[in-house]
Amino acid sequence: MSAVAAKPAAGGAMNPTAMAVGVVMLIILLAIAWKMAPGLGLMALIGVIIGGVLIGFGVHFVPVGGAPAAMGQAPGIATGVAMLAAGAGVAGLFGGAWAAEQGLVVAVVTGAVGGGLMMAITCMLVNFVYVFGMGIPAASGKVLKDPITGDSQPEYKSQGTEGHGLPFVSFVGGVIGGLLGGAGGTLIYIELLDLYKVTLPTVLNASAADVLPVAVAAAGMFAIALFLVNAVLTAYNITGTIEGPHDPKFKRWPRAIVASAVASALCGLVAVLIVTI
Amino acid sequence: MEHIVFGIGITALAGALATVAGSAEDTESNIGSQGDPNSQVQLAPQMGFMHRIFNKAVAGEPPAYGLWCALGAGLAWAFMAMQINAVLAIVLGCILAVFVQGVYATTAYLGRTASLAKFGQPVYTDILKSMTTVTMAHAFIAIFCTVTLCYLINAALGHPFPLPLLGLIWGITLGAAGSATGNPYYGKERQYQNQKFGAGVPISASGNIVRYAEAGERNSLDNGFFTAKFGGAASGVCFGLIVFLELWRTVIFERIGAGWGAIIVGILMILVFTVADRYIEVWARKTYGPYTEPKKEASS
Repeated sequence: MSAVAAKPAAGGAMNPTAMAVGVVMLIILLAIAWKMAPGLGLMALIGVIIGGVLIGFGVHFVPVGGAPAAMGQAPGIATGVAMLAAGAGVAGLFGGAWAAEQGLVVAVVTGAVGGGLMMAITCMLVNFVYVFGMGIPAASGKVLKDPITGDSQPEYKSQGTEGHGLPFVSFVGGVIGGLLGGAGGTLIYIELLDLYKVTLPTVLNASAADVLPVAVAAAGMFAIALFLVNAVLTAYNITGTIEGPHDPKFKRWPRAIVASAVASALCGLVAVLIVTI
Repeated sequence: MEHIVFGIGITALAGALATVAGSAEDTESNIGSQGDPNSQVQLAPQMGFMHRIFNKAVAGEPPAYGLWCALGAGLAWAFMAMQINAVLAIVLGCILAVFVQGVYATTAYLGRTASLAKFGQPVYTDILKSMTTVTMAHAFIAIFCTVTLCYLINAALGHPFPLPLLGLIWGITLGAAGSATGNPYYGKERQYQNQKFGAGVPISASGNIVRYAEAGERNSLDNGFFTAKFGGAASGVCFGLIVFLELWRTVIFERIGAGWGAIIVGILMILVFTVADRYIEVWARKTYGPYTEPKKEASS
């Protein structure tokens, strides 16, 4: 087995105790929010947690090959998990924030499509560079056949590599990851913006029009920060590289969901409490 | 109608700026050797291959460009608040951000190369002197174009985010698009130019990067010259398309169906890129063919 194919022995194991501790921590954090910032604050925190979980889950779909992919030694996009997911997510957040005035559903879907579009363009150009710049066809190292198209993979792997480029299932995974990331980031932004628009005039003793730029900037910063928190957390769960939804590492998503929920709840609680106490 | 025409003009200008930014970003990261392929630059001396390639991959491109673009945009924003002309403010902000990039490049090269001293890799001061300024020049173009497009999005198209936040967002996206598209071309096609064309680098060849040029030893300026012709252009197209299509669908279709028009157009564009990707994948399989004979069911 080569260095690229080697897997950490205990990397995929679930730890029920740790999961239970995570759920208990989540409940405690929600209870704190319910006690100290009931109503709008609690609703915002729940929105932040859902957004964080969407980001954490979405990052698992993004095909990331890291350094080996840059040498055509492994499939995926040749950059880091957190980097790429953050790039797609904040591109989605940009679109979602623009559509914030049109309601929660439209804004979240706009954010999702923005993230998905960024990933679709990037994934297509990755294959473009591999095929037309380097003469290398796409091949997966983890499955014998592409689960979507049924194309056979092993004979398209060049000698001494684990595959290269983005097979179609990885492309679809990338777009789904962008969709979920963009939706999650936008949801966090909208929930915090709604909270800040209501609470900041009292906190800062100013008119609603005066605090709007502050509310937008603060909600935007928290949304990006929560994006990075969840993307980096999930990158640790993936441990390096992942090909997409067909990769065995994808099955680790449940523990990332719990971890993302707890991390988002803690960060979200700070974002809520700065304006409610 | 005038509003839409104005919006389309700004969108086209932002897309053009993004294309230049993406191209300059990839060339800068290749001259500075900042992307994932730098793992080989770091590995080569450990395998006994001394080289004269720059080495500054302390951070990935997205957070690094997020920092520099947010810094440039933030300083430009502050200068504009001091009633300085917008163009001058953006130039001054970007110059200061580039100085930070220069400090980063210098300390990263010295630190990373000095850590390889036990393997006999020297720190070349002439490399530091000749290449840091070139990466800074390319970084200035990338940061200036990104901050300018952020300013257009904020001031002309009315996006609610303040300029520094837009700088952070589009800086991260610029780094993500540039590293995703440009890295394989620098890593496989340039660093391993001695390997077979049309195949990935065998893992056994790791670290054995090309170290000699037509005359003398290869340096990172040669790498930037090479990758700018394809990897840089592809990165520029990637970031340009992202910015242009995101703005275009919003500016023109946002008012249709209370926002759903832009969503439907976005989904259609995703489908178009999906079809294009599938076409490229199938074209490569048919044109290049398999490396080995397909395995029979019985043997698998």
